[in-house]
Amino acid sequence: MDLTINEKRVLAILTELRSADAATLSTRLDASVDTVVQWAHLCADRGLVTLERCVIETAVLTDEGKRYAAFGLPERQVFASIHGPTPMDELTKHPLSKIAIGWLRKKKWITIDKGVVTVSVNVLEGEDELALKNPVAGTVGCQELVKRGLAKITETVSWIVSVTPAGVEIAAADLDLREEIGIISREQILSGEWKNLPLRRYNVDTLPKRIYGGRLHPNQQILDEIRALLFEMGFTEFYGSIVQNAFWNFDSLYQPQDHPAREMQDTFHLSEEIDLPDGWEKICDVHITGGNTGSTGWGGEWSPEIARKCVLRTHSTSLSIQYLAKNPIPPLKAFSISRVYRRETIDPTHLPEFEQLEGIVMDEGLTFGHLLGFFKEFFGRIGFESIRFRPGYFPYTEPSVEPEVWVDGLGWVELGGAGVFRKEVTAPWGIDCSVLAWGLGVSRVSMLRMGLKDLRQLYRSDIEWIRSSPVRRV
Amino acid sequence: MPVVKLNNAYLERLTRTDIRTIRNNLPMLGSEVEREDEEQTDVQFFPNHPDLCSAEGVARAMRGYLGIETGLPTYSVKSSGISFSIDPNLANIRPYLGSAVIRNVCMDNAMIESLMNLQESLHWVVGRNRKKVAIGVHDLDKIESPFSYIAAKRSTTFVPLDYDVSMTMDQILVEHPKGKAYAKIVRNQQLFPLICDAKGRVCSFPPIINSELTRVTEDTRNILLDVTGIEPRAVMVAVNIVCTAMVEMGATIESVDVDGITTPMLAPAVRTISVAACNALVGTAIVAAEMKNLLERMRFGAEVVDTDHVRVMIPCYRADIMHDHDLYEDVAIAYGYDRIPASLPPTFTVGKPHPVQVIYSLVRDIMIGLSYIENTPFTLTNEKVSYEMMGRPENSAALSVLHPISEDQTIIRTDILPMLMESLSINRSRELPQKIFACGDVVQNLVTYAKMAAVSIHAAADFSEIYAVVDAFCRMAALPYEVRGSRDPAFLDGRRGDVYVAGEMVGTFGEINPDVLVAFGLAHPVVAFEIDLSCLL
Repeated sequence: MDLTINEKRVLAILTELRSADAATLSTRLDASVDTVVQWAHLCADRGLVTLERCVIETAVLTDEGKRYAAFGLPERQVFASIHGPTPMDELTKHPLSKIAIGWLRKKKWITIDKGVVTVSVNVLEGEDELALKNPVAGTVGCQELVKRGLAKITETVSWIVSVTPAGVEIAAADLDLREEIGIISREQILSGEWKNLPLRRYNVDTLPKRIYGGRLHPNQQILDEIRALLFEMGFTEFYGSIVQNAFWNFDSLYQPQDHPAREMQDTFHLSEEIDLPDGWEKICDVHITGGNTGSTGWGGEWSPEIARKCVLRTHSTSLSIQYLAKNPIPPLKAFSISRVYRRETIDPTHLPEFEQLEGIVMDEGLTFGHLLGFFKEFFGRIGFESIRFRPGYFPYTEPSVEPEVWVDGLGWVELGGAGVFRKEVTAPWGIDCSVLAWGLGVSRVSMLRMGLKDLRQLYRSDIEWIRSSPVRRV
Repeated sequence: MPVVKLNNAYLERLTRTDIRTIRNNLPMLGSEVEREDEEQTDVQFFPNHPDLCSAEGVARAMRGYLGIETGLPTYSVKSSGISFSIDPNLANIRPYLGSAVIRNVCMDNAMIESLMNLQESLHWVVGRNRKKVAIGVHDLDKIESPFSYIAAKRSTTFVPLDYDVSMTMDQILVEHPKGKAYAKIVRNQQLFPLICDAKGRVCSFPPIINSELTRVTEDTRNILLDVTGIEPRAVMVAVNIVCTAMVEMGATIESVDVDGITTPMLAPAVRTISVAACNALVGTAIVAAEMKNLLERMRFGAEVVDTDHVRVMIPCYRADIMHDHDLYEDVAIAYGYDRIPASLPPTFTVGKPHPVQVIYSLVRDIMIGLSYIENTPFTLTNEKVSYEMMGRPENSAALSVLHPISEDQTIIRTDILPMLMESLSINRSRELPQKIFACGDVVQNLVTYAKMAAVSIHAAADFSEIYAVVDAFCRMAALPYEVRGSRDPAFLDGRRGDVYVAGEMVGTFGEINPDVLVAFGLAHPVVAFEIDLSCLL
């Protein structure tokens, strides 16, 4: 049996005394009564000792009781002042009469007839009066005093600890009373002395103090998982500025300058401007006449002034097109996960900023079918087995598709948009092969994967939620 | 995207099939069913399809897609003999006008409602909220040709729709609900656009309001259509879409002479496409004859020219066909996305992370090793949290958004530390200690930078603790650094330091000033560290 040193010490004393009260044990073990009782209880849990709880009641007079102890109860004092029949008026003049008259009548020490008080004879000293002289808890007289508020009972608990036969048996074996070792010292390890030491044994049923390690944010973890998947599939990561001019955010993506998405109710505009890059004239031509792309263009006008104005990027496609413009030679597979900004009021499903995954694949001979094939593989790998394709619309892709995945309990959920970049988008940068492009609201993927109902949890996180989210997700 | 309200019974009648079949196939035409009940189906269409903004347009497309009626819808347009003249003074106001006469109109309530809805949707999608294009319909039998589209004095009076008193155009902008809603389009002009008939009676004040005189009702048999705008192509698209929708209702279209130009023509545009190019884009092996059938299901006219060429007649209401690829997409949709062979791109490339993301990963590894929990706060913030509550002066490099949506989000963060202070504030009822960090982008002037900040809050947090973290961080990041005294007011004097790398200040750390703690509602010491990660790149 694994006894602690203190349990052993209790047992050792009791083998000698057989039975002892807690006070005695406290003295012998040089510990407080409470501590000793705690140790005894631990021994009792193992069946080595029994504890008997003794309650001693002591009666003590209250301040009022003490005053009466000297001169007698109020009724006794008033009684002593009456000599022969006395008018009631006279009696009420006594200072204690208010308390005393009731008791005098209750104890039948007086009778009152037509306003005249007559005393009884043979008035003996009552139990309460005896108790007033010597209060003993449990006596009738003392109980009376307690009821009258003249005495009170205090309880003292004491413990009698006795060793059981099992305890005697354990103690009969040689009890090692040396102090237990908690932490093993360097010297004890090196010398091997630890082998001979009484090492404290720990109780595995007692849970440890909770600690929290450093960790990735659960959302970042999912983003990293997706990044790892894309690296495996041969994609290179790109990255870019939060602030973009309208040229890269809209115009280069063949969004007409009067497109509703460009207006202030959807996009965060800034008062700053960024100069247009070399080759901007081609974009101007594409918008107005289609340039040499085989397109009719949007017609109307196109203003370099509007294109210079800055916005917070509304999609990471603004980074994709810049990456393509810088790297127009196929083959290329690239992606980015970036914060994007939309002028939305914050609520559980809408935020003004969130993460968007954007990818491009450029090569000779690529088709729309390759884009669908990529999606099937990609979504399957991030945990969405069932996928279907619906036509979509984006100003910069044609054909366009909106992939939907099946989520139990939600049905078909739209998870992004994709398509083949329009010639109006790629031709101005000297690209003549197909560029497959796809975007994905990864915050939404995170929500689905983590079962979150409120997008805000990703960005204004409750630390308790991060601490309690498992690091490994299955 | 506009929501189009479709009356089920009317749509079934037009499409000649049941509403269930229609609803199941709507997504393939590029729409989402928003809401549906016994009477009505509300759908959102993609903005490139203004031709689908009416029950008539949806039915026309749906009949084709379902094979009920395929091929190019043809329209015969004879001259109405009615003419319009345009005042040259409109050149800088609202110069373009398209018109048509629509005869044999016999509209019940569902039809009138459909026409009004179409008009509203077109105002939004094609007209950019009437700025670019505005549409008016008039009871032709109340007015007389020739009509004139003029730049009129603002004091011209007429009785606007829904009113029974005459008002000046200026008054209409101030008093009439439509006037108030669209005043900003014309307000700055000296003269206002106005359409009058032969007798000088006012028909319309485009793009604001029609005259009560020409109100269209169930009794209207002949309609005069006016479409005014600032971009001629958009004006004609709107004319074509309205006219062809009215044909679906059983009306006939007659042309109007606008200063010698006949409108509308309702004639198809022609493009000859390559079968091979289409297959190369979509990833299919469709032969010319099949491609012709697929195109016809999308309501194009199609003729096989040779094995590689199909001549396509594009109905006049299809404003979205700007490039051959737009036709290829329609072929793909008719063929069925789910039938297209889907295979992985064969392109072989080697992937690699971006250097900034490599730094972020490295920083995360270090901070997690130091027992810090990652946070991913917003990048939009405000001056109060970023500077005032931090006890710091405002940063002129901070970018303000022009039309913030709330007071909480007026600038892009220049520092991450205030975001973490906010996070501690949000979590102040949670168990201590809390050690959190965040790495991410900040913006100063127009440039995006990478930064990392870390905070630790608990009863015994002190300068030595955070100095040890800074030291460990720099050593693990292989960043030779030195520390000099700091003057950052967010930190306590005598308990703060600036981190220098290669002679440049890159970071600050120390004990947060108790005034700052109180501003964030915190009651325990906080130690913090922020570093610009550019020095690691």
